[in-house]
Amino acid sequence: MSDALAIRDLQVHFHTRRGLYKALNGVNLGLRRGEVLGIAGESGCGKTTLGLAVMSLLPRNASIPGGKVIFDKKDLVNLPREYSERVGDRFNPKENERVLRRVGKAMTGIRGRRISMVFQEPMTSLNPVLPIGFQVAEAIYVHDPALLARRVLSRSKATPALLKELMALLVATHGDEASLRKFAAEHGLAGIEEQALFIWNRGDIHISRKEKAIRALSGAPVNRAELKIIEVVARTGSIPPQYARVPVLSRIVRRVLIKEGYRKARELLTSLGIHHAERVVKMYPHELSGGMRQRVVIAIALANNPEIVIMDEPTSAVDVTVQAQILELVKRIRTSVSASFIVISHDLAVLAEVCDRIAIMYAGRVVEVAPTDQILQKPLHPYTQLLISAIPTLEAKPVEGIKGDVPDMRAVPVGCAFHPRCPFAFEKCHEIIPIDLPHGNDQLVACWLYEAK
Amino acid sequence: MIAAYGLSKFFPIRGAFRSTTSLKAVDDVGLKIQNEQVVGLVGESGSGKSTVGRCLIRLLKPTEGEILFDIPDSELVEYEKARAEDATKRVDAIADRFSLLRRSSSELRSLRRLANIVFQDPYSSLNPRMRLADIITEPMLSTRFCTRAEAEIRARELLREVGLPEFFEDRYPHELSGGQRQRVAIARAISTNPKLLILDEPTSALDVSVQAQILNLLRGLQEKYGISMLLITHNIAVVAYLAEYVYVMYAGKIMEWGEKGKVLRDPQHPYTKALMSSVPVIGETMTRTILRGDPPNLVSPPIACRFHPRCPVAFEVCGWSAEEVAEDLEYLLAGKYYEGFGDAVSVIAEGERTITIQGTTDAERIRELVGLENEEVRSLKSVEAIDVSDGSTVVRLHEPVEPEMYPAPDGRQVKCLLFRPDVSPPTGNA
Repeated sequence: MSDALAIRDLQVHFHTRRGLYKALNGVNLGLRRGEVLGIAGESGCGKTTLGLAVMSLLPRNASIPGGKVIFDKKDLVNLPREYSERVGDRFNPKENERVLRRVGKAMTGIRGRRISMVFQEPMTSLNPVLPIGFQVAEAIYVHDPALLARRVLSRSKATPALLKELMALLVATHGDEASLRKFAAEHGLAGIEEQALFIWNRGDIHISRKEKAIRALSGAPVNRAELKIIEVVARTGSIPPQYARVPVLSRIVRRVLIKEGYRKARELLTSLGIHHAERVVKMYPHELSGGMRQRVVIAIALANNPEIVIMDEPTSAVDVTVQAQILELVKRIRTSVSASFIVISHDLAVLAEVCDRIAIMYAGRVVEVAPTDQILQKPLHPYTQLLISAIPTLEAKPVEGIKGDVPDMRAVPVGCAFHPRCPFAFEKCHEIIPIDLPHGNDQLVACWLYEAK
Repeated sequence: MIAAYGLSKFFPIRGAFRSTTSLKAVDDVGLKIQNEQVVGLVGESGSGKSTVGRCLIRLLKPTEGEILFDIPDSELVEYEKARAEDATKRVDAIADRFSLLRRSSSELRSLRRLANIVFQDPYSSLNPRMRLADIITEPMLSTRFCTRAEAEIRARELLREVGLPEFFEDRYPHELSGGQRQRVAIARAISTNPKLLILDEPTSALDVSVQAQILNLLRGLQEKYGISMLLITHNIAVVAYLAEYVYVMYAGKIMEWGEKGKVLRDPQHPYTKALMSSVPVIGETMTRTILRGDPPNLVSPPIACRFHPRCPVAFEVCGWSAEEVAEDLEYLLAGKYYEGFGDAVSVIAEGERTITIQGTTDAERIRELVGLENEEVRSLKSVEAIDVSDGSTVVRLHEPVEPEMYPAPDGRQVKCLLFRPDVSPPTGNA
């Protein structure tokens, strides 16, 4: 099976007043389906830029002189790359902004829906003046209004008798999703299955209450005008433009669907381990603690069942005890959803906890990729080795810093970017950039030391 | 070297109608650093560890408590004895000579020579308009440690001492990397030959490879000059690397202190246990104690033990309030034990110690539920009695007990009721 996401020789340069800042210099990385890939590196190594490039969220002074980001057989960065190739040195941020705006339009069906991102600082990635339920609801409303419409419709159509049957089916199959979906489709109730399943899967309530809650799904009060509009949305899969043009209609659609979004938000938050979600969805971000905010941001990222979730430093802003909660949560959701994850962090120990594979970045390049255990126990690249030996442990083993500093990305050293700090550097390292050399089992290392003699 | 007793710092918060409440950032903290000792103070953000550091060198004036600085051991023993006996006169006599809180500001200025601080963020702790030489000489001049000419020579020596070339003296902070800046901050802090150095998160703004350099620098300086250090950090591995003794803080209180090896390798307090098990370690998969919830709000902290709402082994007297128990009880009655109670039940907290459950008189079943769930939902441990009166069920709770520092057999001290010497610990272990 092909990779969920393939990054080929990606370069990102920032045009600044003080020169060309080469943030990424040829990154090669593949994200396999269903895996959790960690990206580690020190600050300034380009790990966040990589995440932003995949999401096409780069600022206007960023050019992409080369490389591809391939998702679902499409290249996500072809427009800015073509622009950079066309103008070469005469790069103009204003023109680039126009290109990026076109990219933004092309990305609407992908960004937030098929690839979503969790940002580092949960306080700044949530809107402080909107209740968090709204923010979750909006994410679904924008990308998949039909889902919300189906949910309302199915509830308005469901009769108590049908729901009783559905409950019996749930008990008989122990909550089998496929048979439930079949049942819903047969009875024209598509959309009810996920609501029923959510109630069924809750561990904290008694079965008699589950039964009552599932029965209560019937007869959502929807008036005839609303019903008509929602039916159209559910059928066509999007909000028809003629509705968007008429203020009254668009307001009705919005009101009904956002209200449904709150309901979905409650389900999402409950499944992420938040008690009293019905109270939490009405709160504003400042009322929540750091750990809760991070859960909300994760809920928004997962709201549309994305194929890829990029988490940029998901635990850097929280305390260790809360970090442990979040890591536990990430481990749990990766088994319950079918997405592939990219986790970006400066803390190797955090990545070791959740990742299948880890990529180490240095000065805008991936220097080593390998399965987690392998890279931690037998690191090949000198940088990885030194990085691991610099981490203080509880046993207070002597730690060694890496001499020197991270290179200035405006003047990256010729050859291997690590050679000025590398204890094993030899002539070739000063001249030629190392290529990715396969080593052993599923390990890639960009270091001339491992070139076959 | 320095000892603090009953140190508290409350920050006033002015609310509506001019009512003043306070945020109890540090509450009754005792701490001691001996000569040439490195002491670690760990805790999560908001636990008050930085406030303690700032109070110790009088950057903040503590609300309550006593700080004795540069006190000989014999006098300290004397003071502690007098304090234990409540001999006010003797306590005052010693405190008058050594207390930092009884110094005038001019006396403090000369004392500042002896204690200095390194701040967390080297990007904001260095004045961007001063040359490095000026930054480093400033404390020497302001405390009249030496003349300007001597100070400038010393500044160059110090730059070399912290591993920077001498020609950096004419540079400005913006020309340096984060690690180099932190070296300058350290050079400034040791410029007056202090006996005590407070390190407030010295490496948390740095990358690991640079962090390791700074840690080794600090260790070298400590060995060379025998400076006492208080290392304030949330990074337990950093404490493990440098410190001899560790204090663990949570929500403004010290939870446990003792020798590093004992506290970190074999933690006793339930919070320390959870904290240590939360630290991800490379190449180790262990069963974690995942705490529920978040650290408390310190404007209205939990009563008695501040850790009890998150504690996996909390028991009867840890400080459960009626509200906390009512919330958990309601959650159970409306969820897992819905059958038999239905929607008519409502749980109301009345006062501190009683809860009324309206809509049911089935005390037997509630008793059974409490018995079944109290291992999982710890707040139910505090239920003392369940009776029926006036058509509703009344739940009474145990009286809470404020925990103190209790000595453990191996020399450390733990602030947890499980370690009360007079009571045998109840069942359950984290």
